[in-house]
Amino acid sequence: MFSRKKKQAASVSSDMMKKQKRYEALVKGLHADVYRYALWLIKDKAIAEDVVQETFLRAWKSIDSLNDEAAAKSWLITILRRENARRFERKQFDLVDIDDVAVADPNDINDMVLEHRELRKIMSSLSEEYREPLMLQIIMGFTGDEIAEQLNLNKNTVMTRLFRARNQIKDALLAKQDMGATING
Amino acid sequence: MDELTFRRTIYADPNTQDPAVIEAAKQDPSKQAFWNDTKALDAQITAATKVPVPDDLVEKLLLKQSFEDRERSVNKRPWYIALAASVALAAVLSFNLIGLNPSTGLASDVFAHVDHAYMEKEIMMSAGNVDMQSVNAKLASFNGAITGDFGEVVSANYCYLDKIKSLHLIIKGENGLVNMFVIPKSLTESIQESFSNAALIGTSFLLESAKIIIVGEDRAEVNKVQQNAINSITFSG
Repeated sequence: MFSRKKKQAASVSSDMMKKQKRYEALVKGLHADVYRYALWLIKDKAIAEDVVQETFLRAWKSIDSLNDEAAAKSWLITILRRENARRFERKQFDLVDIDDVAVADPNDINDMVLEHRELRKIMSSLSEEYREPLMLQIIMGFTGDEIAEQLNLNKNTVMTRLFRARNQIKDALLAKQDMGATING
Repeated sequence: MDELTFRRTIYADPNTQDPAVIEAAKQDPSKQAFWNDTKALDAQITAATKVPVPDDLVEKLLLKQSFEDRERSVNKRPWYIALAASVALAAVLSFNLIGLNPSTGLASDVFAHVDHAYMEKEIMMSAGNVDMQSVNAKLASFNGAITGDFGEVVSANYCYLDKIKSLHLIIKGENGLVNMFVIPKSLTESIQESFSNAALIGTSFLLESAKIIIVGEDRAEVNKVQQNAINSITFSG
């Protein structure tokens, strides 16, 4: 009886190890992309970091439901978008003091480094419906079909938004050029 | 393919593999030039998205999960796992009681920190490679500095040993990894100069203003790291 109990403890801990290994691989491999995507979506460093932490915590809790490591990216983004949406639900239903509401700082993204500043400014000024699919394509490497599924849109709409996103960036860059500003790549 | 469709397709996906687009670009240099421009713009956009990621994010994501885990193990595990765990705990405790070298609170905390799974996690955080500069940056909070040849450090992280903040270095020895902990001398409670359990042996000693604890599987290896520490680390103040 004694040895049986021991065996059980051992197999539980080896399951835990396996789970931990999977989770650590997920964190190591994807935290940077997921954080960057969150930051471009939310445009506030502190909130983006919170949302990423919540996302990975949920991922940890339900990692057994992830059957295919290749699907990990879309799985995490789905969790992240849901977590981000919950933020707005909470905001809507809670009565909070205005001081408690985190106000997005538009300089968070723009001022982080000097290079790319102009381009970053333009990118963060895109409306969310254009910025989000563009970031899914650029940061996460999603295809049109994957973006369509993630955003619950049809593929044509996604392709049109991607087209408009780049078009607006290009126009804004040209406008800057006309004003004689230098553009750094 | 007309100009507008071409441009729309390229703007929507500059890396498109659409054969009609590729063919159109081949036949019309101005279309190819537009495509190249767009790819260049995309490279710039990609570079601009690469905002810096907070240094401690990985650490936070791994730690948060282990806290969560601890809570869950307290609250949600079924009774028979708790029973199995207590059986294991009882085995460990009785082993310690009948063991030849009973360890103090600090020593047992030290052993907890040199557990294989724990070490693996720490090494993972440092990506298995730490340069002397960042080791020195962390040593500086104990007024310490490495001045000579100390050996290869694979991980350097702060740890709490019995509520005392310490620096945990994992050093690559000839036959395995050796752990070194740095604690301020003023805060150390009594820890035996030499202590051990079934698998590990440890030594502790004062080095100027710091207390050093070294733990490893092999006594010769531990002694070597101790010599290296004495020869190449200084603690002032």
